[in-house]
This record gives sequence, C-alpha cells and structure tokens, in this order.
Amino acid sequence: MSEKNKYEAGFGSHALKNPQRIVFTTKKTSAKVQDVAEPKVMAYPHLLMREAIVFQVIVAMLVVVSLLWDAPLEQLANPLLTPNPAKAPWYFLGLQELLHYFPPLVAGVIIPTLVVLALIVIPYFNVNINGAPLWAAKRIGALQGFVAVLVALVVVLGIYDAWTVLVPTALIGGLAVYSYFFEPEVGGWKGYLRGRPVSWWVMTWFIAVSIVLTLVGTFFRGPGWSWVWPWRPYGA
Amino acid sequence: MSENPKAPGNPDAPESCEKCEVGRRDFLNEISFGALAVAGLGSAVVSYQYFSPNVLFEPPTKFRAGSPDLYPVDSVTYLQDQLVYIMRSAAGFWAVSAVCTHLGCITAWHPETNLIQCPCHGSKFKQDGVKVAGPAPRPLPHFSITLSPDGELVVDKLETVQPSQVLKV
Amino acid sequence: MATLPALIERVRQTQAWKSVFRRGPARSNRTRSLAVFGNLFLHYLPVKVRERALRVRATYYLGSISLILFLVLSITGIFLMFYYHPAVPQAYRDIKDLQFVVSNGVFLRNAHRLAAHLMVLLVFAHMFHVFYRGGYKPPHEFNWVVGVILLLVTLFLSYTGYLLPWDQLAFWAITVGTNIISSMPVVGGRVRFLLLGGNLVGENALLRFYVLHCVILPLVAVWFIAVHFWRIQKDGGLTVKDTDERKE
Repeated sequence: MSEKNKYEAGFGSHALKNPQRIVFTTKKTSAKVQDVAEPKVMAYPHLLMREAIVFQVIVAMLVVVSLLWDAPLEQLANPLLTPNPAKAPWYFLGLQELLHYFPPLVAGVIIPTLVVLALIVIPYFNVNINGAPLWAAKRIGALQGFVAVLVALVVVLGIYDAWTVLVPTALIGGLAVYSYFFEPEVGGWKGYLRGRPVSWWVMTWFIAVSIVLTLVGTFFRGPGWSWVWPWRPYGA
Repeated sequence: MSENPKAPGNPDAPESCEKCEVGRRDFLNEISFGALAVAGLGSAVVSYQYFSPNVLFEPPTKFRAGSPDLYPVDSVTYLQDQLVYIMRSAAGFWAVSAVCTHLGCITAWHPETNLIQCPCHGSKFKQDGVKVAGPAPRPLPHFSITLSPDGELVVDKLETVQPSQVLKV
Repeated sequence: MATLPALIERVRQTQAWKSVFRRGPARSNRTRSLAVFGNLFLHYLPVKVRERALRVRATYYLGSISLILFLVLSITGIFLMFYYHPAVPQAYRDIKDLQFVVSNGVFLRNAHRLAAHLMVLLVFAHMFHVFYRGGYKPPHEFNWVVGVILLLVTLFLSYTGYLLPWDQLAFWAITVGTNIISSMPVVGGRVRFLLLGGNLVGENALLRFYVLHCVILPLVAVWFIAVHFWRIQKDGGLTVKDTDERKE
C-alpha cells in the first residue's frame, strides 16, 4: 500500500485525548475498562433522601410565596389599544431589546436561530477538548486577530447604536485581551482567567449580554421603549 | 472517497449481481419505504390543509369613513375602530395604517411633535408614513381611499397604494 | 391495641402489600438495589452513585428542581383547567373568577405562574452550570442536545401559557411575538397564520395556544424529560471533575 498506515499501536486510556480507539485483546485477558475506584453510596436512600428534601423545600417555598404574592391580571385584551410600553415575558425582553436596535429578521429570526444552533453543535466540535487556555501559545498574532474581531463587533454595534449590547461585549472582550498579559503562573482571579478556554469566554460573553439585555428590558425601559430609571415610576 | 467500493478490482466489494438487477428483498424494501414516504407526505399535506382555516370571522377590511366634511383641512384623525389615520391637507385625503410595520403594535399620533409614534420599540413616522426613527423596516402603508357614489369616503385596508396618491375632493 | 410501627409491620406482612412491593424492607444493600431497579419510577436511577456526584456543587440540584417545578406545574395546571374555558372573552372572566370567586383559585394561579417563571430561570441556570462544568463533552453530547430541546420546550410552554388569561399583557405579548415569526423569510407569514389560525390574535389563536399548552407541549416535555434522565445513567452518570474533592 502506498498510503501511510493510519493506525498506530500504543497504550492509552485517556478517553479525551484518544476518543476513537480499537482494543486488541489476547486470548488470556478480556477487554475491560479500568474504573477508578472511588467511594460510592447506595442511591436508595442517599440520593432519594436528598431529592425528597429538595422537593419539600421547593414546594414549601412555592406555597409561601404564592400565598403572599398575587399574579398580575390586567384589563381584558383590547386589540385596538396597545399598552405603553408593551412588554413580552421577562425571558424574551432581551430579544425585545435587540428588536429595538436591529431589523426583525436579524434580531427576531437570525440571532435566535444562530444561538440555538450554536448551543446544539457545542459538544460536536471536538476541538480543544482538554480545555486549553485561550492564550495557551501566547502568540501575538492570535491576540491581534482577537482584537480585530472584537473591534469590528464593537464598531457594528456602535453603528446600530446598540450600546446595551456594546457595553457587556466590550467589557468581556477587554477582560479577555487583558488576560493575555497575565503570566500563566499567577494565582488568584488572574490565573483563573488566564486558564479559561475560548469556549468559556464565548459562553460568558453570551450570558453577560443576555443578563444585561434582560435587566435593561425589565427595569430600564418605559413608554416608547425609552430609557427610564426603575425608582422613578412612569405613567403616574 | 476516491475509490469506488463496487469497482471490479476492489476485493472488499460485495458480490456484484449480474447487470445489477434489483433483488427481491431490495425491491420490497423500496416499495415499503416508498409507501411510507407517500403516506407521510400525504398526511402532512392533509394536516396542513386541516390546520389552515377556510372561513375566518375577522373584522371586514373595507369600511366607510363618513363625509369628507368631517375632516378639516390639515388635520389628522385617528379612527380607533379601524386602526387607520385619515389625513387631510390642502392637496387632499390619504389614509395611513396605524399598525406599526415592525411588530404590529398600535401607534399613536402625537400632535406636539407632528409624529406617529409606536409604544413598543420606539419607531417614529412622519404624517406620510415615512419612518424617521426606530427599528421599523418599512414606512406605514397607505390604503386606497375613494369616494362612494353617495359622497362618503371609503377605505379599503386590503388595497395599499403609493404615498403620492391622494384623493382630491 | 397495637402500636403504629407494629401496625405498619403487620400491613407489610399481608399478601396484598407483598403483591405490590415484592422485596422486603430496604434494610440490606440487596433489597435497597431492588427498591431502585424494581420500581418503574426509580429505575432510571443507578443503584449506586459516586459520592462526588452527590456533592451540592456538582449539580446545585438545578435539574432536580426543574423536574420538581414541572411536576408542580402539571398538578396546578390540571386544577386550573377545571375552571377555564379557552374562549373569548370567557377566558378572561374565568381568570377573574379564579381570582375572586373560586376557593383557593388565586393561590393555585399564583403557584402556577410562579413555578412557570422559576422553571424558565432554573432551566437556564441548569444549562449554564452544565456548560461551565464541561458536562456537554462526550459521551454526554446527545444528552446536551436533548437538554437544549427541553429548554426550547420550556420557553414555548411558558409562552403559550402567557396568552391564556386573555388580558392586555397576554394579548400584546403574543401579537409582538408572533409578528417576529412573520419576519422569517418565505414561510414566516404562513407559519404565523397556522399558529394563530387566522391573521389576528383571536379566538382561534387562544384555542390553539390552549391545546399546545395543555396537551401537545406537556407530552413532548414528558417524552424528552424521560430520555434526558435515562441518558444520564446510560452515558455513565453525572460529570464529576477532578477538582470536586472527595468527601472525607
């Protein structure tokens, strides 16, 4: 065969480094996975007892809060009159905030679809499965590329005036750039950030943007989606 | 894959059939899966038809807006039941939709700024429906406005017209 | 007069009891194992769990709490269905009745609404926590996808329930939300028409959202929850990290 042999013989038991392996066994031994011996307990009662306690605590808390806090009920639905402001449920207020800046096709269809697709494909990218830090190699080229992408993103957001997205993006991005200059050996939060892989940074950015948008949509938006302060009630 | 697994030289190829006729088992498999696919497709089409209502009890889209004399020159009148603004200037009449083109909220006329404003996402429109601010993708559409034989304005919300068309009375 | 423990012991000796619970009292590891895998509702659990996986920081019980909230929502939701007609404007009057006329109706509605919002929050928290622990990595990749589907089902369940009170809040949230759908290219308008059963949010839309909220989506959710739990065990249990130090 002219082709190079694709298989290598060797010993290895690291499932993350070698996800696909073939096991050869001799007649005398059987194939088995060496389990790391670690303390185990019976699911009944140890796990079930904990679940039962959680159940009781949650239900008790639900009952108490439900007795004290009434669900809102507004006027009968009137298709001829839009309340001002008309707000979606809180978990869609981030989306509504995006809709304030971008056209509906972008904010309402493309961005949510991309987010869901991104979430689904996360585990199927076997790149960097060991979680190597973002700046593991500490190449200046990687930093330049990262900064270029970040600046482009910030500029686009600036053009659309979408500063409630821009601020968390710039903060998290800036922190990622800043962590490039930490020494790997440094301890504390600097060392923690220095050791984070790129997936961690992307997810943290996503969560930061989501939380900021949801909070702004919930507490800081009033009539005509204008900026208000939550401690100054409007419409009174 | 560059190599054809069924090429005659390939020792791994399955026993090649004479002239590659379809075997009985393959034929039955294909018939079965074909029948399933047809049935599935048919069910999908029938379900789609079932779930699309043929008769809707929604408000009529054509309405009479009364005599032109009801609307003074240089005025904006909001017809709340129809979600339409009747505008009148020296040039004539035109009708603008009050439903925001962004996400369907009902806009409101603000005389102090001479702008139509949407409460949901902050879009603002001029009197002719052209957007001046906010996320709305299109200007507010103009509806056809005509004069009935007995001299009343008739607005048809299904028929949109160019903003340049105004009804001269 | 027999004492209570003695009475329980007597009941346990009866043939009727033994026909239901074939194992004896769960006092040995053998009968404890039987208690788990001989029970339809517990057999998705492993018989033994790693001590590290039981630590609070391994899960913060986020998944368990999501399931508990789902159960609470099922029960309170079925209770609410007894007084609710999905019709305009009867739906709004029914909610008013639940608030002011039906005994404990307001409590049930509060509990249902609170649990629904909490469930959305908890499912998000669960997903982020699993991500930061690397719980999505092989061999758990399929279960992660099931989890993403469950997140979408949860959001859709909560959103369809939002319309049912038929008040201003409900009506305009659904109007805005379904108009987002119609901005989808090519099929958007048709999808919105099918979802609402018309061009406007009206009677048909209320009935469709009711059926989705009370029948279709709960069935989908139960189905995927079952797969989700089953796969935890089939994929080798919860993800434990080397940094989760063992209990002394």
